Amino acid sequence: MRDLIAHADSINHLLSRYGVKFGIYKNNTFHEQLFPFDALPRIITHDEFVQLDKGLRQRVDALNMFLADIYHEKKIVRDGVLPTEFLYASKGYLPECEGIMPPAGIYSHISGIDLVQAKDKSWYILEDNLRIPSGASYPLIARELCRRASPQTFRQNDIVDNRNYADMLRDMMDYVSAPGMRVILTPGRYNAAYFEHSYLAERTDSALASNADLYVEDNKVYYRDYLGQAQRVGVIYRRLSDEYLDPLTFLPESLIGVPGLMNAYRAGNVAIVNAPGNGVADDKGIYYFVPKMIKYYLGEEPILHNAPTYLPFYEEDYKYVMENLHKLVVKDVSEAGGYGVVFGSNLTSEKLEALRETIKREPRRFIAQEVIDFIDLPIMEDGQQVPRKADLRAFVLSGRETRVWPSGLTRFSRQPDSFVVNSSQGGGFKDTWVLSR
Amino acid sequence: MGIISVEKSSRLIWLGRYTERAFTISRALSRYFDEMIDHDEYAYRGFLDCLGLPYIYGSRDAFIRTYIFDENDPNSLMSQLVRAMDNAIVMREELTSDTLCYVQMALDTLKQGREDSAPMLVLQQVVDDLFAFWGSADDNVANEDCRNLMKCGKYVERLDLYVRLGYPYREVEKETHKLLNRLNKVRFAHREQDAQKLLELTADEATYKANKQRIMTLLCTVLS
Repeated sequence: MRDLIAHADSINHLLSRYGVKFGIYKNNTFHEQLFPFDALPRIITHDEFVQLDKGLRQRVDALNMFLADIYHEKKIVRDGVLPTEFLYASKGYLPECEGIMPPAGIYSHISGIDLVQAKDKSWYILEDNLRIPSGASYPLIARELCRRASPQTFRQNDIVDNRNYADMLRDMMDYVSAPGMRVILTPGRYNAAYFEHSYLAERTDSALASNADLYVEDNKVYYRDYLGQAQRVGVIYRRLSDEYLDPLTFLPESLIGVPGLMNAYRAGNVAIVNAPGNGVADDKGIYYFVPKMIKYYLGEEPILHNAPTYLPFYEEDYKYVMENLHKLVVKDVSEAGGYGVVFGSNLTSEKLEALRETIKREPRRFIAQEVIDFIDLPIMEDGQQVPRKADLRAFVLSGRETRVWPSGLTRFSRQPDSFVVNSSQGGGFKDTWVLSR
Repeated sequence: MGIISVEKSSRLIWLGRYTERAFTISRALSRYFDEMIDHDEYAYRGFLDCLGLPYIYGSRDAFIRTYIFDENDPNSLMSQLVRAMDNAIVMREELTSDTLCYVQMALDTLKQGREDSAPMLVLQQVVDDLFAFWGSADDNVANEDCRNLMKCGKYVERLDLYVRLGYPYREVEKETHKLLNRLNKVRFAHREQDAQKLLELTADEATYKANKQRIMTLLCTVLS
């Protein structure tokens, strides 16, 4: 490990050389910045991973069953497990997706599940990301570069090779694909995760396309080359949000979508990865119900637990939240990327009161969670190891089977005492090692 | 990946043009730099005249600081590399990360060299990175159309700059043939007649010297 740390600067230099960056908008201006990498990895033992693997597969399978149910029979609502209000009030629920069964019946092909590990070593799920979870490319390329910089580290430690992510992704895309080529659809280079779009296109041998490259004819999607010839598209790994995907179905003002795409999808002529409409399942409000879904659809006890969560929508929870707001973390269900997260302990009494009023007015808009005192991971700062909060985004791919990528994106806060680890908020990342024994 | 869209074909051509612009200008500047050291501190004006650029740089030091390193000057070397990167970054899956990184390295070198007291050494590194970019492109870019489009852009730009900067006829003739060779490998609607015309205008030194403006005009349209 010492050797790896000694080469940290070289690794960061290589990351810069390969353009491993993310974009961020500040004051309406686009800035690209390097994603700070800490060479000290998060280490997950073999036994720990076996448990995580089981729990994550269980959770994602249940979420896929939930999505299929919600856009068809809605048995979970009929049976009273999920209140109707929660379904129809969710911003992620798209009536346009009603009755559509995606190829192979899979909705969430790539699930990014955020977890934290408490000080007693137990893992808690913080949130499910089933729309366009990003981040796998960072540990993927970091591992490649770490191996170059410090081969002996990887010779001396039994680490599961994580460089199969692109193969897993390609296999999954091919499994759900209609006849035709693979495409990664990007909103463009000024997207925060553009590096990832282009890197995954390279690694999966897919065409990286913008909407101008695609068109729909007779409910089939085509990619047009520079000589005017067209090739059928079988699967689109889209990296733009549902509402921008197809101006004929969703936002008519979208300039980055592909007109007619939803018709082609509905006709079963193209697979869209992840399926439109998944937002209903990764809504922070729906998160509360995931353990119930696992029991409902699989008849199993959840292997991995949610962080203790309260829904002010329920009277009992509402009372608890109001009484304990000062020690809870409150999340706006419609926000992402670390935004809309408020720690009661950081608020003045006036602000606490204002938040209380807002929750009273819009109880469905918020969830409240106990603050999990999750473990600190060591990071290197000015040659010293310092403890920082870190989470883990695990990636679960669903194709022929549901598979957990034996790695993940470990993000850490660079500020002492901060729980916010998002890159958009200045966080860094680490490689995640899974030990093979 | 194998299939090149209209937008990507344009990106590839402009990637070729901007990398070549940065490359040839970096090399051309060495001549003017040398003169500016202890012969003529305004030698850079000759360079600006060749490229038809205005005298907006008040002094030798301002020229070096601004023309080479200032991203806000649209004519600067830095701007050419930024544009090269703008075109390269959207082509990663065709270029490969291993090739793309040399454009990134050239740009990083120039950015880090802003405060360097020896700008020519910085430019030497930029030239090395761009050489490596083309070597890597030949080695790693699997799609032949992709390579041909980039090289069409590269040789159009090189020829244009050689004509503007007054390079010897033998150099222009050599680069004309390189361009024609590439044009023969891509399929543009009016390629044949443009190629023929270019050949006529560079047939010998006298014809070339009498037709520089026409050659530059032709180069503007040959890839449209």
